[in-house]
Amino acid sequence: YFTMLNLTSASASFQACQSEKHLGQFYTLPSAHFRPLFPHGLPYRYQQQVKTFNEACFMVRPPALEVISYLKKADYSKPALRYLFYGVKGSGKTMSLCHAVHFCYTQGWVVLHIPDAHLWVKNCKELLPSSYNSARFDQPLQATTWLRNFRTTNEHLLSQIKTKRRYVWTKRESTDEGRPLGELVNQGISRVKSSSDVVGALMKDLRLQSSQPGADFRLVVAVDGVNALWGRSTIKKENKSAVDLEELTLIHNLKKLMKNDWTGGAIITTLSQTGSLYTPKSAYLPQELLGETGFDSMDPFIPVSVPNYSEKEFESAYLYYLDRKWLQHPQSRTEDGKKELSFLSSKNPSMLDRICGFL
Amino acid sequence: MAASLSGLLKPWTPRVFLVRWSRYNPYYLEPEVRKEAYSQPESELSAEEKEQRELKMIRPIKAAASGVTSSVFSDPVLSKFINMMMEHGNKVLAREIMTQTLENIKKKQVEKYHKAPEGQKEEIECNPYTIFHQALKNCQPVVGLESIRKGGKIYQVPIPLSDKRRSFLAMKWLITECRDNKHRRTHMYEKLSQEVMSAFVHEGNVIRKKNELHKMAESNRAYAHYRWW
Repeated sequence: YFTMLNLTSASASFQACQSEKHLGQFYTLPSAHFRPLFPHGLPYRYQQQVKTFNEACFMVRPPALEVISYLKKADYSKPALRYLFYGVKGSGKTMSLCHAVHFCYTQGWVVLHIPDAHLWVKNCKELLPSSYNSARFDQPLQATTWLRNFRTTNEHLLSQIKTKRRYVWTKRESTDEGRPLGELVNQGISRVKSSSDVVGALMKDLRLQSSQPGADFRLVVAVDGVNALWGRSTIKKENKSAVDLEELTLIHNLKKLMKNDWTGGAIITTLSQTGSLYTPKSAYLPQELLGETGFDSMDPFIPVSVPNYSEKEFESAYLYYLDRKWLQHPQSRTEDGKKELSFLSSKNPSMLDRICGFL
Repeated sequence: MAASLSGLLKPWTPRVFLVRWSRYNPYYLEPEVRKEAYSQPESELSAEEKEQRELKMIRPIKAAASGVTSSVFSDPVLSKFINMMMEHGNKVLAREIMTQTLENIKKKQVEKYHKAPEGQKEEIECNPYTIFHQALKNCQPVVGLESIRKGGKIYQVPIPLSDKRRSFLAMKWLITECRDNKHRRTHMYEKLSQEVMSAFVHEGNVIRKKNELHKMAESNRAYAHYRWW
């Protein structure tokens, strides 16, 4: 039961691929979709695998399929639904998120994909006091990189959506009402000092516009490592005291987006222990990682558990590696070798990838 | 430890057993690690095999070394190389470097394979294990030089080397070359994979060193009969 479903850019065949019959099978992303959609957001080892095999393949797995079926059936005049992927380390949460994001992209939604919220709360090289609100801090570097990637992803839609309010950046610069969003994004990339405020303005605008009944686009907010928004941060101010999370503009605006007071879209998130600060290594459940405040703010949400590979999925992954000439050791093609792989990796996707790497 | 007079070879275990040392009482037998040995039925080598099995049921057996596994993927040459790379007993790090090297070699080869046109796909060798073994074979010298003192002067005499010595020299040269002669900021696995790939096609510094040794041995051929063993 391993077949490669070759995707053409026609969305009809893509729709057909996302059914239960194709569980455990791989589908290839067309290269025209891969470059704009994922400038950020994929795990590093997967990016290297894409470079080696010269193609990007996702496995169709139950958690991603579940979320996609809910996205198809949801009522978008009601407040946005929040989906949360959780599971042990390396079980495929980020990949399921990217699968769902790709589905939304093919439907023509606006994709707001934050690759890892943990990167915004640690290792900050430049911290500027915010121009808009003097109590808060700006992170220009992270904001500009994110804006650049956002522009690559949503190039075709940015010229169609117009701003609804007037934004004043400095005494001489302002963005008027009715200008295309692309101009706002370019403003943020060129003027590094006000980039975090641009990010905040962008989020607010998109949120307001998708809520209106006459909007012709839907918004998907995809956040990886959402437990960073309610944890602690390691960034220090000049007097060596720790920065509170509310004092960071990026985090503040993101938290406002995560509230389900807007309509016309969906919020898909992932928990992540690997990048998180001050959490034990064995914690993977939403209650443990989000903490009390996080859980209360995210409540109500739809938790989707991402387990390790089942027998069938493991078979499929093994056959995929064999087909792509990744499993080279002569012993790995025998039954004994396969049993040993299954035991050593305990069917965890990332462990299987690491073990098959050197075999 | 008991002396090696046969009368004293009894199953005597001291109170504190130093399992990690290799000086066992010769009474102890070697452990059998391979899985295939245990799945054989009552046939094959009936008299000798059965005698061995009887003996194993009675006599004590040494503890298996921690570097040996019964996995189908274990490779004695690779284990020897990892042990030679290991410093201060850090086997975890040495093994990590080795696996990253193999993965790096495989990645480069598979990338070349997928980008190559149909006709050239069969010529590209993707298996990192065959590449590694072939590279080691290419690095092994055929003859070595020994300093022999005759009549007050010391001559460099070409001598034959045993198989073990040759493979040891090949591995030693590979490791020292990667540690010393490469750029400071590259990772060890990167340096190793570059060196192994060039040794596979008979290029690179290790092959050059082997060839220089061969030339020296060839030029000192006249002293060959100074060797008396």
